[in-house]
Amino acid sequence: MMLEVRGLGAGYGDIVAVRDFSFSVEAGKVLALLGANGAGKSSTLMALMGIVQQKAGEILLDGSDISMLAADQRIKLGMAIVPEGRRIFPDLTVQENLVVGGHVSEAATLAAGTAQAYEYFPRLKERTGQKAGSLSGGEQQMLALGRALVSAPRLLLVDELSLGLMPRIIDECYEVLAKLRSEGLAIVLVEQNTEHALAVADEVSVLEAGNSVWFGTAKEAAKDSAITAAYLGTA
Amino acid sequence: MLYLELFIQGIVQGSIYGLIALGLTLVYGLLRILHVAHAALFTLGGYIGVIVTNFTGSFALAMFVAMIVVGVIGMAVYKFAYEPILHRPPYIALIASIALFIASEEIYRIVFGPFGLSYINPPLQGQIEIFSGFRLKHGEILVMVIAVVMLSALAWLSANTRTGVAWRATVTDPEMAAAFGIKIQNVRYLNFFIASALAAVAGVLVALLNNLVEPTMGSVPSYKALAIIVLGGLGSIRGTLVAALALGVIEAYGTIYLGKILDRDALAFAFLIIVLMVRPQGLLGEK
Repeated sequence: MMLEVRGLGAGYGDIVAVRDFSFSVEAGKVLALLGANGAGKSSTLMALMGIVQQKAGEILLDGSDISMLAADQRIKLGMAIVPEGRRIFPDLTVQENLVVGGHVSEAATLAAGTAQAYEYFPRLKERTGQKAGSLSGGEQQMLALGRALVSAPRLLLVDELSLGLMPRIIDECYEVLAKLRSEGLAIVLVEQNTEHALAVADEVSVLEAGNSVWFGTAKEAAKDSAITAAYLGTA
Repeated sequence: MLYLELFIQGIVQGSIYGLIALGLTLVYGLLRILHVAHAALFTLGGYIGVIVTNFTGSFALAMFVAMIVVGVIGMAVYKFAYEPILHRPPYIALIASIALFIASEEIYRIVFGPFGLSYINPPLQGQIEIFSGFRLKHGEILVMVIAVVMLSALAWLSANTRTGVAWRATVTDPEMAAAFGIKIQNVRYLNFFIASALAAVAGVLVALLNNLVEPTMGSVPSYKALAIIVLGGLGSIRGTLVAALALGVIEAYGTIYLGKILDRDALAFAFLIIVLMVRPQGLLGEK
């Protein structure tokens, strides 16, 4: 198992956003975390990166606990995040955003990773010297994905890939995700768009108010009308 | 030719303001702290410059020592004065900074004496005739050269090195920068080192131009630099430099043409008030 999370509790300051959350994902698989706004999905991802404070539980990467490691160490072990709201660096150029993505990488990895990101998203290549803030929403999402790929991760945490994007761009981003999965990446995907999430996910975990309330395969989730009606917003 | 002479004198003074105020902008940009105690580091730079020059006879060495020592002290100011209160509202840090500034003036008075220090053999006093009847001291030319060299070097580094890019990313979004493995703590130390070293350079240069350092040397620059960074649009590096040069030039003309009505040091604030009435976001600030 590449990533195994046991009894995770996390939050900002005194606020607890996630309670006793357990899940796992292996190489070449996609786990979708579903649930309403404020259910704790984004906090879970940020806690996995070591940015939101972990208050309980264990995060095992390839079997060893990384709970005490700083973000740079986690990246070196192969983790990277595509955060909620994209959060590209608007004042930096496209190229510089990618350089930040490879901040902890060796120069050779950085160069290769940057080339790889441009290969996935040729449109970024055309805008390499442009301020990231001047990109369209779709291009910014591609940049956020590209930035996470520069460090050549094995485990990708993706938050709200489809939010506010045109269908054509969403499809393009999901194509890249599917490609990454086929290359053996493990992906944890937070997504409001149930349809897209279920199409790409192998397994699904549903969060409600910081607690995990349902776990199963994507097929089971799609079939289970109670789940889809209650948590996934489709009847 | 008087206009041109005043303009050049204004640029010399503006270069000094720029070196001081840039440090404030760097600190404000990263931590949203109004670092009043920055002016105390400027004064310390002046003292180190004079003392090391008098002791070793080398002005260049004095400049180097001042940058390193003051840079490190600036890092210590962050570590011991600001870091423990970063999670508190910004005015707490401002009060701490003012306290630190006042305390430093008294410490300088006790350690270096109340009457100030001068260079035994002031360096760079030779003059060059720029055009007929107008001469500049070597020291004044050095001020402009150093300001241009330092600021260009910083601009180049921030655009062309991974550390520079990481620093700019951290200024924009510290949490996201951390999520990509940038060590925010190191960025802050580096930021304080550079800001303080620039203040030290300014202190050494002002000590040279006045041939005097005294404990209160930083009091006027402390509030004038605040006016400059507000003028420039808080946090804008380019705005800070434009405002610094503009203020230098305005003061140079103002002393001649408005000297009877307004004190030189009051001009900065008259200028600040006028600009803020027209452009509340500062000269180059964004809304």
